[in-house]
Amino acid sequence: MAKTILAVDDSGSLRKMVSFSLQAAGYEVIQAVDGQDGLDKAKEKTVDLVLTDQNMPIMDGLTLIKSLRGLSSYQKVPILMLTTESSDEMKAKGKAAGANGWLVKPFDPKRLVEVVQKVIG
Amino acid sequence: MASKTLPVTELRGLLAAVSDHGMQHLIEVEADLMQTTFLLSEAIEKLSSSFMAVHEAVVTQQEEIDALLVLHELPKSATEQLGKYREKIAAEVNLAITGLQFQDLTSQLITRTITRVNGLKETLVALGEHGDVMEPEHEHEEIARLLVEMSANLTTRSDALESGLRRAVDQKNMSSGEIELF
Repeated sequence: MAKTILAVDDSGSLRKMVSFSLQAAGYEVIQAVDGQDGLDKAKEKTVDLVLTDQNMPIMDGLTLIKSLRGLSSYQKVPILMLTTESSDEMKAKGKAAGANGWLVKPFDPKRLVEVVQKVIG
Repeated sequence: MASKTLPVTELRGLLAAVSDHGMQHLIEVEADLMQTTFLLSEAIEKLSSSFMAVHEAVVTQQEEIDALLVLHELPKSATEQLGKYREKIAAEVNLAITGLQFQDLTSQLITRTITRVNGLKETLVALGEHGDVMEPEHEHEEIARLLVEMSANLTTRSDALESGLRRAVDQKNMSSGEIELF
């Protein structure tokens, strides 16, 4: 059975590119348009990995990660940030919130798939 | 001969002119940025749809070729050439997906610029309003106090705007970004 990835990003084009890349590698992708939408969808179905943007309306990525880590079903689910942010300060905040990795946009689809495979197989 | 009173009327006129002309330019800047955002959104929509359609066609074509190769044996050189084309297509698809992310980065920068433009518009409105308070019959000390208040107000607005505009996009090109696992 295909592993499921929750892709959270307010940019429709980015979600499309992420989904295209991961689906081509055999993953099932659920899309969410912001942190709150991501949290709602994560509660509906526990996914194998969460890939989230940072700067989004309604709820940002760091808040989403903290909210997910507060749920018992998401304490061990890998969460990766995929964002334009690249400062050490933001990475440290992400790590403290519970992120397992940091990918700076734009992403290379081949490398994205390699990282996802490394994290969830 | 030196004037004994401050040219308050002229000062008010200057502040009103700075406010009005500045606003006019900023309204145009904002309109252009909104139009740019709209055009970029439509462009990425069309580009990504075309890209997906082309990719789907290439995949289908590849499947047809693979089916034909099962039935007909090709010379080794031709098989190798097909393999090279396949690798070339995969590499170009990779580059295209990386490049197609431009809209996400540019829209963030444009949104930040629009926020800054709106902040500047509010500052200019405040500048004009401050000028309206000044009257020619005010004493020098009163005018000085109003000017100090005006400067402080502008500084406060500028600081507030700056604090809400952290730079989130530092990318200078479309090369893929770094990856770090914790």
